[in-house]
Amino acid sequence: MITYIVRRLVQSFLVLLIVMLVTFTLPYFQTGGILAPAYSVLGTHANAYTVHIWGVQHGMNHPYLIRFWNYLDQVVFHANLGYSYKQNMSVWGIISLYVPRTVWLALSALVLTVLIALPLGIFQAARRNSTFDYTATGVAFFLYAMPSFLLCMLMLQFFSFGWIHLPAQPPNEVAPWAMFTDPVGFILPIACLTLLSVAGISRFMRGTVLDVLVQDYVRTARAKGATNRRVLFRHALRNALGPIVTILGLSLPALFGGALIIESVFNYSGLGIQTVNAAVTFDVPTVLGITVLVSIMTLLGNLLADVFLGVVNPRIRVEVQTA
Amino acid sequence: MTTAESAELTIQTSSGVVPMWRQRLQIFMHNKLAIASVAYLVFITLACFIVPHLYQTNQTNQALALNVPWNAAPSWHHWFGTDSSGFDELGRILYGGGYSLTLGLLAGLITIIVGTIYGMVSGFFGGLVDTVMMRTLDALLSIPYLFLLISFITIFARSTTFLIIIIGVTGWWGNARIIRGDALLIRKLEYTQASTAMGASRWHVIRRHVFPNSISNIVTIATFSVADAILFLSALGFLGLGIQAPQTDWGTMLQNGTSQISNGYWWEIYPLAVVFVLVVVAINYIGDALRDVFEVRLLER
Repeated sequence: MITYIVRRLVQSFLVLLIVMLVTFTLPYFQTGGILAPAYSVLGTHANAYTVHIWGVQHGMNHPYLIRFWNYLDQVVFHANLGYSYKQNMSVWGIISLYVPRTVWLALSALVLTVLIALPLGIFQAARRNSTFDYTATGVAFFLYAMPSFLLCMLMLQFFSFGWIHLPAQPPNEVAPWAMFTDPVGFILPIACLTLLSVAGISRFMRGTVLDVLVQDYVRTARAKGATNRRVLFRHALRNALGPIVTILGLSLPALFGGALIIESVFNYSGLGIQTVNAAVTFDVPTVLGITVLVSIMTLLGNLLADVFLGVVNPRIRVEVQTA
Repeated sequence: MTTAESAELTIQTSSGVVPMWRQRLQIFMHNKLAIASVAYLVFITLACFIVPHLYQTNQTNQALALNVPWNAAPSWHHWFGTDSSGFDELGRILYGGGYSLTLGLLAGLITIIVGTIYGMVSGFFGGLVDTVMMRTLDALLSIPYLFLLISFITIFARSTTFLIIIIGVTGWWGNARIIRGDALLIRKLEYTQASTAMGASRWHVIRRHVFPNSISNIVTIATFSVADAILFLSALGFLGLGIQAPQTDWGTMLQNGTSQISNGYWWEIYPLAVVFVLVVVAINYIGDALRDVFEVRLLER
């Protein structure tokens, strides 16, 4: 198991290198080349000489490979993500301000999704083609088809300005503990994010459990006289857990992406809004830093999902040990 | 006549001589909701591309220039009212729909074509090629999709062609993974191995065996890809990164509508929201129905 984890960590690191290579190379293709941010920092009428000096100050006169090596050296060996072009802060400073806020949003939505979607999917599979199943599937279909911002806006319309009056905006103090002192403000954004991911995951869960329920071992279990409940929870659920854990791991980037839309609807300054602002103002170090960080979180999430998969499924554990 | 026909059909079904595609068509036709979805999509598509020629509305000059009312409630003159710029809402829905549907379809097609080629090559060649290709895919998948889209779109000029290419190029990763799984499975099957043993080249095997046998999966995923592309396009529209004025698409319109929702101008959001959500639901439902159709286990029942 440990060799497996180590091997996966090395692989993840290589993957991270590719991510950095891609994101680092992108600015070379923007209109105006890598010096485009200079005009965003110095103003659109900056003269060529100032732009040149700015470029030299930021090491842009070096060749591509040298620049990439310098960036790698800085990130990997010094854990330094650089200094923002636009905000007078280091990228770490920006990240440490906003990451807790977004992670809080995304993580509570993830936990709620698991708590709601898994039982829902199992129940639907157990009672398939019942009225409840059809209703839940229908609702999931509509939620899945709804653009996230539309759902948010409708929720705001009905639950904040309409039938009941929940706060329309989460507290925007930068201090991360605001999430504990004023939890009511988070009800709507977290509910939106949860609804959006429940729609996809519960449908997937239903499909997986249905697939498992037609397997031979389930029939055997039934034949030897196991009760319905036992078949469902001892045999079906355990085998359906594998794909669902993988999907949950893979849904992490989507969750962060979804958080981006939610953040801009609810005017909650988190990582998403920061990224959009940074991208629009050509703040390259910030975009790179946030992308690298979110990729690390995603890779770790996938790794955890796979390790957990080994815990719940003995067959995979054996495969891993022999591999 | 009809009874004779149906009797003939049942006989053929029971003796099992009905051709595969016909059997599949029957399963699809049996699914009433799927038929309704197809009908709805055809209706909306025709409406978006034909009706604007018959029901001509001004979609270029804003209210101030033409002295038409903006934010006007639905009336005989403007069936769905007018929006905040004074554009006729019904005409705008059809006009924007043309862009949303075309872009969604083209972007979805690109994702499926690129994903299929990548997945097939990776899954079929296996070994080092597969490892490298899949780890690259892992890297791409772990970059948050929307973040990447946004940096792409701020980096490059925002033309319509570019929107298609960007969504197409960034959307194929998930598809490639599914197709690769298929290719891996088919590679292990006996007839593929027999073909290889008889000296068929790899490309021949991919073309003659792997591709035809995963076509059902490809068609199904393609349907979902189009729906996803339409949704992503709308998300971009919301962020103000979609199609630029004077053109419009449903995402941009929904964004405009949602900003008017608290003023009580319901006609700027609800008709379009219903049309939009139903389009995506219909496409997804057709995808589901196609999956049932191609499910071999269901064929005999």
